[in-house]
Amino acid sequence: MTPGPRAMSRAFTILAANTREAADSLRRARLRTVLGLVGIMIGISSVITMVSLGEIVKAQARKEFEALGTDILVVRKSFEVSSPEQRAAVVEREDAVALAPEVASIAEAAPRISGHGAFRHAGREVGHGAIQGVTESFVSVNRLSVRTGRFISDLDINRTWCVVGADIAAAMREAGTDQPVGTLIEAEEQLLTVVGVLEPHQESYALPVQVEANNAVFVPITTAARIVNNPEIDVIVARSRAGVHHETVAADVRAFFQARAPHLPLDVVTAKELIARMESQMRLLTLLLAAVGSIALIVGGIGIMNIMLVSVAERRREIAIRRALGARQRDIRSQFLIESVILTMTGGVLGVLLGLVATWTVCRFTQWEFLISGLSVASGLGTATAVGLFFGFQPAHQASRLDPIVGLQGE
Amino acid sequence: MVETEPPGFGSTQDRPPGATSDEGAAQMLQLTDIRRDYRIGPVTTEILRGVDLAVGAGDLMSIMGPSGSGKTTLMNIIGLLDRPTSGRYVLDGRDVSKLADDDLAMLRNAHIGFVFQSFQLLPRLTAVENVSLPLVYRGTNRAEMRRRALAALERVGMGERTGHRPDQLSGGQKQRVAIARALVGEPAVVLADEPTGALDGATAREVMALLASLNAEHKVTILIITHDPGVARQCARQVRIHEGTLVERTAGAPGASGAAAARHPASGTEETEEDPGASSAPPAIDPNPAREPTSRRDDTGEILNPAAPT
Ligand SMILES: Nc1ncnc2c1ncn2[C@@H]1O[C@H](COP(=O)(O)OP(=O)(O)O)[C@@H](O)[C@H]1O
Ligand SMILES: [Mg+2]
Repeated sequence: MTPGPRAMSRAFTILAANTREAADSLRRARLRTVLGLVGIMIGISSVITMVSLGEIVKAQARKEFEALGTDILVVRKSFEVSSPEQRAAVVEREDAVALAPEVASIAEAAPRISGHGAFRHAGREVGHGAIQGVTESFVSVNRLSVRTGRFISDLDINRTWCVVGADIAAAMREAGTDQPVGTLIEAEEQLLTVVGVLEPHQESYALPVQVEANNAVFVPITTAARIVNNPEIDVIVARSRAGVHHETVAADVRAFFQARAPHLPLDVVTAKELIARMESQMRLLTLLLAAVGSIALIVGGIGIMNIMLVSVAERRREIAIRRALGARQRDIRSQFLIESVILTMTGGVLGVLLGLVATWTVCRFTQWEFLISGLSVASGLGTATAVGLFFGFQPAHQASRLDPIVGLQGE
Repeated sequence: MVETEPPGFGSTQDRPPGATSDEGAAQMLQLTDIRRDYRIGPVTTEILRGVDLAVGAGDLMSIMGPSGSGKTTLMNIIGLLDRPTSGRYVLDGRDVSKLADDDLAMLRNAHIGFVFQSFQLLPRLTAVENVSLPLVYRGTNRAEMRRRALAALERVGMGERTGHRPDQLSGGQKQRVAIARALVGEPAVVLADEPTGALDGATAREVMALLASLNAEHKVTILIITHDPGVARQCARQVRIHEGTLVERTAGAPGASGAAAARHPASGTEETEEDPGASSAPPAIDPNPAREPTSRRDDTGEILNPAAPT
């Protein structure tokens, strides 16, 4: 009774014997066992899917914003307008250009005017896409890179110069122009001289604005204002200064526009906010899975409890014999607890497999990168153990409290 | 245990009569004024009304009594499965009257071996696994457990059927396995409640012979509860339950001793030298002779013998 190596070895022997016993008795009650397992399996697979998808989305967001940078923010006129003044208000070009110099928390800002059209070169169409009027900062803010020539400069005011995206350059090459820089391209009935060609750019769908750089022709913002149909600033993509909280940046930007254009309804979306939004969408799915999972676990758990109660009732004599031979109440309790945990753990392992298959399927459809998270497996098996202990406790306790005298009597 | 404690046995042997009040010192177990009531609603039934009993190491004792007289109740108390309503019980020098449930379980494991009328083997376990069970709750390692279980089976003549499950064994074989299980932990006392009650005559005699030989050769202390006077006669000490108390049987079987006679020589006994352990066992029992004339005691036993085993 004193703790020590002997007590330890006793505990271990009993545990080992109990485990063998439990496994054996479960094998014998096959149908009931299978029924109980199904509930646990569904419950655990929900847990696994829930935790895995959470992890996957987090990893996905991290990956997206690693390329994009978490300092990025998008400013534009809100689509929600409630008054004629608001409807009439626009983002003025002077304001957009003044944003970076005047707001301390903004490092760089890249306003854009865009139109749509077909591009012609050497007598044939070489593409169909956006004509984007931009400033010099656009290339760095959007992490584009120039392959040949140069990008638009802030000194190119009103110049009919342009930079073409990789797909357009490829089409021009097909049209016989190996070196687009220096050649002419026609857009919106305006001939433009190509001064640079961009590298192919991997578009990020995390942002609420698409650059579509590969299919675009970039011109100075002043030029675009003259040649496109709608010369309004459609978006400003900006970068905040390092170490500034994203809510501070958003507030600064709002204050800046509030002072200059009081009626302008403004959308300011920061990367951090986008990540939070992604996570909150995830939370909805998580909640759904949590609901399904908990119901399945409760149903499964009650099933397990029933299995165990029947098992205890059927084995009253066995319990009494064991007690007579020296099993303490806790030995009997642990025997039945082990049995119910083995049951739920088996359901748990199957549930983990099912959950991983479900997660993999979701990932195939959403094109997220599938990964097996240790956390999800651990939480699935942990939950299974907890359910086994929780729903197994009452039957095990009941078993341990059986009076051996009564158990030995009935034939 | 019994084999390893000849000194204890010897000392019991050398004790002068009348040393009983020196309780527990050399007795395997000693019960003093044990009472057990059952309360059902407002009605209290007294089953045991002041049982006094001392069992020395190496004793072979029978307890007889009609059905419903409280034999099993007494055995459950001696076997630490039940607690008396009042009274004192000293087992192997230790007062166990007021121990907690866990302690009782440990003591059962270490000191008590049970043999039941209906064998009470676990049907799914093989003979050797059944016999190992007491050692499981003692924390013996597997190899040692198996070795000792096989040795115990060997001792009861079941060395050839260690891998059989109970349903592959005859009644007598099952009871042998149960006896091996009772012996494997080398308990202070083996308690056998109607061990032959479910067996046919020939098998019953074999099992009884086994118990007697374990007692004679290995000095195992055995308490047999029985209906069968034939069984009782093979025990050196014989007591019967009468109206909730124990009465030492004073006549009839060879080896009937001892206790009552020693204290009440007037009641007359054939003192026998056949079983030194029994004959020298101190008079543990207060037979209350004023209330119970000797002759009547014998009558009760004979009359109620045919009653069905409980
Ligand atoms: N748990 C109990 N509750 C009430 N009465 C009981 C209980 N157990 C035994 N008895 C009564 O005690 C008496 C003695 O029973 P028992 O010890 O089994 O007798 P025996 O073994 O001598 O046949 C019987 O009358 C029985 O009905
Ligand atoms: Mg009985």
